Amino acid sequence: MDMRKKNIAVCFLFALLLAGGFALCILLPDKSYSDSERRSLAAMPGLRADTVWSGQFMDAFEEYAADAFPFRDQFRTIKALTADAVFGRKDNNGIYITDGFIAAMEYPANENAMERAVQRFRYICGKYLTEENKVFLSVIPDKNCYLAQESGHLSMDYADFERRMAQKADFAKYIPVSDLLEKDDYYKTDTHWRQEKITDAARRLAEAMGTEITQSYELHTLKQDFHGVYYGQAALPLPAEKLCYLTNESIDGCTVYDWQNGKEIPVYDMEKAAGRDPYEMFLAGSVSLLTIENPKARNNRRLVVFRDSFGSSMAPLLVSGYSRITLVDIRYIHPDYLGRFIDFAGCDILFLYSSLVINNSETLK
Amino acid sequence: MVFSSLCFLYYFLPLTAALYFFVSDRLKNAVLLLASIVFYAWGEPQYIFLLGISVLSGYGFGLLAEKYRGKKSAFRWCIISVAVSLSFLLYFKYADFLLANAAVLTGGRMPVLHAALPVGISFYTFQMISYTVDVYRGETAQKNFSNLAVYITMFPQLVAGPIVRYRDISGQLAVRMHTWDMAAGGIRRFVTGLSKKILLANQLAELCGAFRASQEKSVLFYWLYAVAFMLQIYFDFSGYSDMAIGLGRIFGFRFPENFRYPYVSASITEFWRRWHISLGAWFRDYVYIPLGGNRVGRARQFLNITIVWMLTGLWHGASWNFVVWGLLFAALLAAEKLWLLALLKKCRVLSHIYVLFSVLLSFIVFNACDMGQAFEDIAGLFGAGGIPFVSPEAFYCLRSFGIVILAAAIGATPAAGSILKKVSENRVAGRIVNALEPLMLLLLLLVITAYLVDGSFQPFLYFRF
Repeated sequence: MDMRKKNIAVCFLFALLLAGGFALCILLPDKSYSDSERRSLAAMPGLRADTVWSGQFMDAFEEYAADAFPFRDQFRTIKALTADAVFGRKDNNGIYITDGFIAAMEYPANENAMERAVQRFRYICGKYLTEENKVFLSVIPDKNCYLAQESGHLSMDYADFERRMAQKADFAKYIPVSDLLEKDDYYKTDTHWRQEKITDAARRLAEAMGTEITQSYELHTLKQDFHGVYYGQAALPLPAEKLCYLTNESIDGCTVYDWQNGKEIPVYDMEKAAGRDPYEMFLAGSVSLLTIENPKARNNRRLVVFRDSFGSSMAPLLVSGYSRITLVDIRYIHPDYLGRFIDFAGCDILFLYSSLVINNSETLK
Repeated sequence: MVFSSLCFLYYFLPLTAALYFFVSDRLKNAVLLLASIVFYAWGEPQYIFLLGISVLSGYGFGLLAEKYRGKKSAFRWCIISVAVSLSFLLYFKYADFLLANAAVLTGGRMPVLHAALPVGISFYTFQMISYTVDVYRGETAQKNFSNLAVYITMFPQLVAGPIVRYRDISGQLAVRMHTWDMAAGGIRRFVTGLSKKILLANQLAELCGAFRASQEKSVLFYWLYAVAFMLQIYFDFSGYSDMAIGLGRIFGFRFPENFRYPYVSASITEFWRRWHISLGAWFRDYVYIPLGGNRVGRARQFLNITIVWMLTGLWHGASWNFVVWGLLFAALLAAEKLWLLALLKKCRVLSHIYVLFSVLLSFIVFNACDMGQAFEDIAGLFGAGGIPFVSPEAFYCLRSFGIVILAAAIGATPAAGSILKKVSENRVAGRIVNALEPLMLLLLLLVITAYLVDGSFQPFLYFRF
């Protein structure tokens, strides 16, 4: 190709890409939500003299331009592939893939966050509990614990993390479950553990709390594909998974009341299973306050679980050991309001949190 | 607005280019002026008037300097013009620094103005000064206000240079050529600069950010940071200059080169002939030579060097670490003039190590928030404070950023260009390279777009100067 033709080709391709990009930005309809990133996308800001003068319009437009860019997900995939294949980056925005699992590097351990979490737990104990209440704490290691060392990614010392949490929370009896878990107990594309793989952890918790739970379950697998929360963040093509859940007589027989929305809900919400975040099928996902009543209980014991989303899949497995389990998520409800809904007298208390939430405990109210 | 944004690439540039090439030659400067105002106002709407006043004052004083040329009053108008331009810079950039130091010296309390620094003020002030001084020295004043406004505000070089001298561009403001060859050359240069910024500088910035955020410092981590920042600032700034020069060519202008592989220099004297060339030339022509330059005694020459480099440091920022940074170079340049240069010529390898190490240390001082942090970072390179040699985080960063650092280190030398040139000399390989070049540019732009879509906004380092 002679130089002149090549130069014309360079100019033509450059103009085509920029003009084409501009036309697509203008003509394609904007999306309001990103399924892969599970967040709302920025909308086109309103043009007003005051927002232009203050620069707010420009900032908002820059955000909108990035969020509404055509083929956003495909471009994010190109970036992830380039970072990996060309630059040999070990992670992409803190997310890495190893052995078919996607995980986030949770590093380093945040001493202040641990302290804050314990301080919030202590506040609840001081406000509502007496010496009659038995208090337990269990920390669920995130997936990074079982993947990072082998793959050479950064990971905190999880054993030390648990030890320090147990020491700090001297008001609770610590129940370790990390020794019962391994990487296959977690979904490959999601943060969460697999309910069908944590029955041993449920038994450990129940035994430590002095109750007995049913060990027989029926395994169900959802027909639809499951792409976990890390799938969208990684922006790389990985095979879909199947979401599983367990039932037994106790689980089938119990009723769940959602105090936040004032209605009865199923233990496994099939509408949520078909929604944007299928893991929300377990007790409807992010709900601040739930009560599970077990009419077939063999005792009259009650349990209050302060938990995050890991607790949503664990709680059904503990149902057979209690007549009532109350689930509280203090990321969405301030502890000061709990007295209106919960009678703590005689209840067992379990603080069941993933290391992810404890290490980022500013979310706890 | 920054070049490395989706807004610039996919909204501003196609619209501006379409309008520019659609209108007749007579209106092209008007389109450029309008686009430049939008470009500047996009980031700093309040300061568009300051920019306008600056241009207006330069225009008026330029006409007066020309009118009274040969008379004493011409000098007076020139001085007033420089003083007016510098007063804006002094107020917005140095007032708080001066007040804080006055408070320290007097032991009293001084008010703090908290004046926000208008983007690009250091660059356009220097361009304005060069214009009026050049007119005073004999250059014809620009009678067309919009042409002068285009010279000062032209968006490719408005906010981060290169500092374009009026006499280098005055002819092009009136008449300029637009050819496929020039536009294609500009596009190549623009995409190269964008790649330097997005694919290298921004990734190196991530490493520097990880270092600053880390609580696990180690000797390895300090060295990784120092090397990464040294490369980041080069690719960030030279990338911006490449984009500015490339955009200039697309719109028919030839801007001066600003970087010529500075890290291959064998002395600091050579380094400053290759690094931020337009700034070095400005200080040479408008400060060093008027002070007497090399035509004075040794002692006076070294005083001139000290003044110029202290000002160069201060130009980069109103902070003592920038002054120290400038004085460090003054000391090295003086030493080279006295005896060091002769010694360096005897050992080529040692001279390169000396340059790289000196520059590495200088940029640690440059990037520190204060001198305390600068000393801490330099001490960290040598394991001060009993820090370990390696920390898990440093080792991970080395593995994760190893290829980026290696690519940047090679890219900072002419090696890649030389290899490509050699390959192109082979008839068959040359044809393949030739044919693939447009597609490679397109591919690079797509990858850059992907990084922009995925990444968060990272401003250019030189915007704060």
